[in-house]
Amino acid sequence: MAGRNVKLLRVERSALADNDAVARALRRRFREAGVFVVNVIAAPGAGKTSLIVRTIEHLRGWARVGVLEGDIVGNLDAQRVLAAGAYDAVQINTGGQCHLDASMVEQALSRLLLEELDLLFIENVGNLICPTHWVLGEDLTVCLVSAAEGHDKPRKYPEVFAKSDAIVLNKIDLMELSGFDRSEFVRHIRALTEAPLFELSCRTGEGMAGWTEWLWARVRRPVGPMPMG
Amino acid sequence: MHELAVAEQLLKLVEEEAQRAGARRVVAVHLVLGEHSHIAEEALRFHFERLTSQGSPAEGAQLRVRREPMRFRCLECDADYAPPAGDWRCPRCGEVGKLLDPGDELRVESLEVEMANTAYEEEEEEKEKEGGRGWPGET
Repeated sequence: MAGRNVKLLRVERSALADNDAVARALRRRFREAGVFVVNVIAAPGAGKTSLIVRTIEHLRGWARVGVLEGDIVGNLDAQRVLAAGAYDAVQINTGGQCHLDASMVEQALSRLLLEELDLLFIENVGNLICPTHWVLGEDLTVCLVSAAEGHDKPRKYPEVFAKSDAIVLNKIDLMELSGFDRSEFVRHIRALTEAPLFELSCRTGEGMAGWTEWLWARVRRPVGPMPMG
Repeated sequence: MHELAVAEQLLKLVEEEAQRAGARRVVAVHLVLGEHSHIAEEALRFHFERLTSQGSPAEGAQLRVRREPMRFRCLECDADYAPPAGDWRCPRCGEVGKLLDPGDELRVESLEVEMANTAYEEEEEEKEKEGGRGWPGET
C-alpha cells in the first residue's frame, strides 16, 4: 500500500463561522432598512421584557420599536410589548433550544414590518450562557441582570459581561432587601469591561431616563435624525 | 446545553474547508475550546460522532481538543495570570486585574486531511496492486 497523503490545513476560524456569516447578512439587511438592533441577554426573570416595555414607553412618539421575542414556547411576551405600544412584535419559539441563532432571526423577519421600524429589540431566550456565542447581526448587545439575582453574576458568567456593549442592573429598589453588594458587583464588572453600566428599576422607573437617553443617542447616530412616530 | 447546535456548525465548517482543499477524508479536527466556552466536551464529541456516522468525509475523524483558560493582567505587578474559577485576584498582590482573554473561544485551528492521490501516485498504487495479484506483465 502506498502511504496516505495526509496534509495539515490551517483553518483558524470560529466553529460557529456559519452562524457568523448569516449574522453578517442580517446586519446588512438591518442597515439597509435603517433599523438599529439591540440583542438583550439575561437570565429568566431579570426583567428583559420589562426593560423593553419601559423603553418603548419612554420612546413613545420618537421611535417605532419592534420586538423579536425569543422563548422556548408561548407568546406572552409578544402580547405584552404590543400592549405597551410596540409597533410590531414577532414571537420566535425555539422549541427547546436555549438560544436564538441567526437563521431563526432571519426566518422571523418575514413576519415582521422591518422596513417601518427605527429600533428592533431581540429578546433572547432567558439564559446567560448559550446566547453569548450566537451573534444575530445586532448593533448592540445588552446584558441585563437584576439585583435580586445576587452580586456574583459577573464572577459566574464573565463571558456575557465581557462581550456586552452595555450592562443594565435592574431591580435596584430590591438591592437592600436582597443583600446585594454593589461595590463587589461593580469591581468585577470593571475587571471585565469598560462598557457603561445603567442602574435602574423598571418597576419604579428610577434610572430609566439615563438608559433611554444613552440608547437613543446610539440609535440616532447610524440612521440620522428620527422622524416623529 | 447547546452542544448539538455547536456540533452541527462545526461539521459544516469542517466539510466546507475539506471540500475547498480538495480533501477526500478528514482525519482529525484540532479544536480550541476555552475553559469558559461552557461546552461539555463529551457531549460535543458524542454529537459530532453521531452527525458524521453516515457518509460524511469527517466520519471517524478524531476531535483533538485543547482547552484555553481565562486570562487576566495585573496592572500593579505587570504580569498575566490565569486565575481559578470565580476568584480573579492576582496571585502575587491580591488585586483583581483586567481581563485579557475571556477564555470562551470555539475555534477550529486546523484539520488533518487525507488528500486525493496525484495521478502519478494513482499509477504507482495501481502497479503495486497488479504486482500484488501476481499477474505477470504482458509482453
